[in-house]
Amino acid sequence: MTEQLWQVHFKVRRQRTGGKPYVQTFTLEVDPEEYILDAVERIWAFHDRTLTYRHACHHSTCGACGMRVNGREKLTCITTIRSVTQNGGTVRIDPLRNFPVVSDLVVDMGHFFLRMDKSGFNSVAPVAAACLPYEQPQSAESSTGRKPERLVDCIECGLCISVCPAANTDKEYVGPAVLASLHLMYSQNPSQEFINQADDHTGLWRCHSAYECTEVCPSGVDPAWRIMDMRKKVMSDRIKSIFRPRSQEKKNV
Amino acid sequence: MSNQPQSANWPRWFDPRSRSLGTFGFILNRVTALGLTLYLLMHLIALGQLAKGADAYDGFIALVKNPLFKLGELLVIAAGVIHGLNGIRIALNSFGVGVRYQKSTFIVLMAVAVLVIAFFAFKMFSEG
Amino acid sequence: MKTTQPSAIVIGAGFTGCALAYDLAQRGFLVTVVERGELASGTSGRTHGLLHSGARYCVTDADAAIECIQENMILRRIAKQCIEYNGGYFVALDDADLGYVPAFFQGAQNCGIPVEEIDVQRALEAEPALNPKILVAYQVPDAAFDPLRLAMAFAASARQQGAEFKTFHDVVGFLRDGNGNICGVSAVNRHAGQPVDFHADITINATGAWAGKVAELTGIPVPVRPTPGVMVAYEKRVTQRVINRLCEPDDGDILLPQRRMAVIGTTSFEVEDADYIPVYTDQIKEMHKRAALLVPELENIKMRGAYMSARPLIGGMMSGRSLSRTFKCYDHRTDDGVDGLVTVTGGKATTCRAMAEKTADLVCQKLGWQRTCETAQHTLADYHLYYQAAEVTA
Repeated sequence: MTEQLWQVHFKVRRQRTGGKPYVQTFTLEVDPEEYILDAVERIWAFHDRTLTYRHACHHSTCGACGMRVNGREKLTCITTIRSVTQNGGTVRIDPLRNFPVVSDLVVDMGHFFLRMDKSGFNSVAPVAAACLPYEQPQSAESSTGRKPERLVDCIECGLCISVCPAANTDKEYVGPAVLASLHLMYSQNPSQEFINQADDHTGLWRCHSAYECTEVCPSGVDPAWRIMDMRKKVMSDRIKSIFRPRSQEKKNV
Repeated sequence: MSNQPQSANWPRWFDPRSRSLGTFGFILNRVTALGLTLYLLMHLIALGQLAKGADAYDGFIALVKNPLFKLGELLVIAAGVIHGLNGIRIALNSFGVGVRYQKSTFIVLMAVAVLVIAFFAFKMFSEG
Repeated sequence: MKTTQPSAIVIGAGFTGCALAYDLAQRGFLVTVVERGELASGTSGRTHGLLHSGARYCVTDADAAIECIQENMILRRIAKQCIEYNGGYFVALDDADLGYVPAFFQGAQNCGIPVEEIDVQRALEAEPALNPKILVAYQVPDAAFDPLRLAMAFAASARQQGAEFKTFHDVVGFLRDGNGNICGVSAVNRHAGQPVDFHADITINATGAWAGKVAELTGIPVPVRPTPGVMVAYEKRVTQRVINRLCEPDDGDILLPQRRMAVIGTTSFEVEDADYIPVYTDQIKEMHKRAALLVPELENIKMRGAYMSARPLIGGMMSGRSLSRTFKCYDHRTDDGVDGLVTVTGGKATTCRAMAEKTADLVCQKLGWQRTCETAQHTLADYHLYYQAAEVTA
């Protein structure tokens, strides 16, 4: 952390459950190398203990601290103050969009987590499968006698859903994260179930190519690429199914 | 507008603040689509008028020589070129082609669009 | 003797609180968890994320080491959904480290920790980013886990057994009955800004580093010292295994792979108030040095994040790293003459289930409720199911 402190005005969207939303300004002296989440914590610790916000790991593995910073979706634990403002500047902090706001910066991720569960999302995968096919898979052995595994990229932070224009207007749309999950699970286990879930008007076909999801993803999931690749896989499967013998069709469904 | 997904939020589609290139493509496609649809309607109405005979035709030609009308026609060309080229980009992406290069593809195609529009602008406004 | 269904309030939804809610609920309790923030938003969320093999403590703190290896094996079985299990290495970099080897190996044997020497060449082939100058390497069953998802998995299992989670509810006082014993807590629903009381047969203070502050609300002393340390995360997953420095527990001697990151930790210093602990530049610089000792390329890899986590160390004559890392349950009836309240604090993330088991045993004993622990036997519920369909807002 650097020596010179900045003076920054934080305009935070506040709301008690069921109450009227309003904006409250907190002026803080902060180290610009610290993170936006640190500033939010300082506001809670030293200025207003009624401020509610979600956070857990503070290093981009839990996905809890997603917020909009100056209107843009960010994972606040890895977003430095320096990267969004300057000395004397103003930072606007809002909760994520397209999720119900419970209070202040806390949104209800319940529906989203249940959709991720329905998609069969598994947080752990072999290292080679966890990476995107167009990256170099890290080849390594493990001491455990099994293939090396890791926690996958998607941390279920919801930034992609917040920024998506389709999710803005359609609450049935499952969202980029869920489609990316179907793609990830299908690439490890090519089961018909994933094809059927993705091939839906609330799934792959609701995407209209804004590509903001990939822009805001803090973890390198590249949901836009996965959605388009899944379209390829779905189309390929549907075309092949025309030539599949009927008895095999029954087995697949 | 509410924080939650609902149809009434559609104006937000057209808000480019804090957004990346992909959103500009998204907005452009929708605006040009609306523009072209409106043009089609006007075109059909104009053709309907022409069915009324030779005097109507002469009147119509006089109207379209108005520079403002020419500007309108240039906008239609612009809309068609932008929508078409961006549409090709989106169609290719939907088959999994070039998604990782969607930003550079957009820039290149829009540059082509600008050149085409400039060419037509020159042709339309430099001759009589 | 309790014959009807007993009720319990668990204050704190970190690893201890969530595991305890699961254990008690499974034993038939009606459990309400009261937590002032999100799940795991205190120490637990910011844990390094190491599922200890125990080898790190096998020389200086054998009790902690034995607890660790036992719980390591249990959690690897019941919490697979959020654990990267690739094992770990202990590596010696200099003669001082080498001098520690015999005690290390012997300690591991004594504690029942499977430790195997591995040829340095093979280690370097398996982990090419490792410092090529390592002198000796040992293989241990270390693993890395996702902190929030581990807490959520316990919480989901607890909810499946009927437990309720009141997150964003801040406990501001304890309720006492006519005999001066604890019969519940008074809290504030922070979402709505409204007060709310909770009543139960027994209240368990599972607030970890804040256990002293919370018990103070009702005038009971609990000697816990918040002892934070820094963690630094880097932008590249440089190893698949956990890399430990072979030496007595020291600063920055653990490098953990997690998702696409490498996380180095940690330091150790005491604070009065764990509510906000700034990250100190000199500590970050120290962590950079230590990380580069284990994996030289980290010197050139960008820092992704830096954060502080306050361990709950139980107070005593010694301080800092020499304090035991095991946990302690306080029955405030025997210690302070106040019934209806139990405090559990100390411990490590790796031993959360065991902490919950011992605390639940104590609670059952106090209430004369005869049920045994089964949490080691069943796989935890999928963490997504913490948000059960019936409860989510539309």
